[in-house]
Amino acid sequence: MKLRDYLKDNFFIIVLVFLTYFIIYSFMIGFKIIGEFRLCFTILYFLLFILLFLYDYFRKYFFYKEILSKLDLLDEKYLICELVSKPSFLDGEILYQMLYEINKSMNENIRDYRVKINDFKEYVELWIHEVKLPLSALILYTHNKKVDKTLVKEIQRIDNYLEQILYYIRSENTEVDYIIKKVDLNKVIRDVLLKNKDILLERGIDVVSDAQKLQVLTDYKWLEFMINQVISNSMKYMRDILNKKIEIKAYKQENSIVLEIFDNGMGIPECDIGRVFNKTFTGQNGRKVPGSTGMGLYIVSNLCKKLGHKLEIESEVGKYTKVRFIFDDNLFYSEVRNKE
Amino acid sequence: MKKILIIEDDESVRKELEELLSNASYEVLTLESYTNMLEDILSMYPDLILLDINIPYMNGEMLLKNLRKVSDIPVIMVTSKNTEIDEVLSMSYGADDYITKPYNPTILLLRIGAVLKRGEKNIADVILYHDLSIEIKKGIAKKGSEEIILTKNEMIIFLYLYERMGSIVSRDELMTELWNNDEYINDNALTVNISRLRSKLRELGVEDAIETRKGQGYILL
Repeated sequence: MKLRDYLKDNFFIIVLVFLTYFIIYSFMIGFKIIGEFRLCFTILYFLLFILLFLYDYFRKYFFYKEILSKLDLLDEKYLICELVSKPSFLDGEILYQMLYEINKSMNENIRDYRVKINDFKEYVELWIHEVKLPLSALILYTHNKKVDKTLVKEIQRIDNYLEQILYYIRSENTEVDYIIKKVDLNKVIRDVLLKNKDILLERGIDVVSDAQKLQVLTDYKWLEFMINQVISNSMKYMRDILNKKIEIKAYKQENSIVLEIFDNGMGIPECDIGRVFNKTFTGQNGRKVPGSTGMGLYIVSNLCKKLGHKLEIESEVGKYTKVRFIFDDNLFYSEVRNKE
Repeated sequence: MKKILIIEDDESVRKELEELLSNASYEVLTLESYTNMLEDILSMYPDLILLDINIPYMNGEMLLKNLRKVSDIPVIMVTSKNTEIDEVLSMSYGADDYITKPYNPTILLLRIGAVLKRGEKNIADVILYHDLSIEIKKGIAKKGSEEIILTKNEMIIFLYLYERMGSIVSRDELMTELWNNDEYINDNALTVNISRLRSKLRELGVEDAIETRKGQGYILL
């Protein structure tokens, strides 16, 4: 609150003060009151009003200054009432009371939605686990009865979509449901590749993997999902060429370990590459290949953010795509390693 | 014949599992009721238990915890819950392995085989096949003073066939076993590896060691 704005706001009162002064002063002249007294009166009169205005200005000034600066610093602005002290003037008190009531009702509203969303998430998770039961029975059935492999592939597609929504829910959830521990990159890669073995072999995509026995700190299941998403993309956006391949390698960089997944597929156009991590972005490739949801990489980048890994993508149209997961080789990690 | 106990309350999954395991020549046991599980399990003397986490009356993890107080029968947890927390919890309660649904049946069999093998203490470094001795760690096949080096892939294929000597092994099983050992080879490479293995065995005097059964797979004689 600037002084100028305050004075402007009180313009009418100030005009009244001056008007009153002139009226009293002209009365004094009319009643022939001596000059010294008139001077004293003038000084006292203005001093009194200046003090009054200053007092009023400053108590408002400090309250609004506090509330505005705290509001600025606050992430969740609706919590402001908890942070400022109650003002000592009437307008402020009314404002404060209003804010308090408004916040209270909004908080209750938010709480309701939170509870609803949480219930919904829990139900979807439970539901996914339920769906996985018949899927397991189906996979076992196709194996026992030696049914055509196409059926297995379709079942796997269902499973992939289920995983996607499961991890979408987990990535949006504020609750932590991951465990960070040492993960052997070779093992995760093996699990993912085994899962995709049939499709890779059928489409004639050669796989090379060299993780150099490196280990990273992460959540195993989350990383497995993320690698699976990237490899699913590689398979989905493969070109129809003779030597299709996916190369996975891991190497050390200063202070970090990099897991790189390369494919010589159709690549991503330059105008799209900046947006592939955006929600529901499908871009030019999405129009070429059926079944693009634009969710896969968005979820992966979200999970990476949560786990504190960096995610990079690099590509050239018609040549290749490279996705890199960068795991910080942090202090804790070297501590753990030194002990072994 | 090894006895495997399936504790799984979803009937269709249980039936298919029973069929899968008995086809893989295991004896399959199931529980009649879920009220007295611990006593039932102990009275059956299984060699391995496939335990679902979501079972009636008692959570699978609790059952495992109680079981571990009295027995160290190998247990593989099978579940559709796939968070790392569940897995870490199960492993800390003493599970030998943890598999999430839906699983690839071939991989399930591999993992069961691996856990059962862990129980048998002495796995031979040298195995005898006809009049050959195969030194697994050195990767060589010997007949008297004659020696031939087997590559890692050839050794994996040979061992897998050897463990199932006399029964048909599908290409898919061999492929799964190879990929499970980080050898991500393709169909052509598998064919090449098998014919190379065949000719190496022939060089050492074992004719027609690996027979091809069209459309089914291979069989080691």
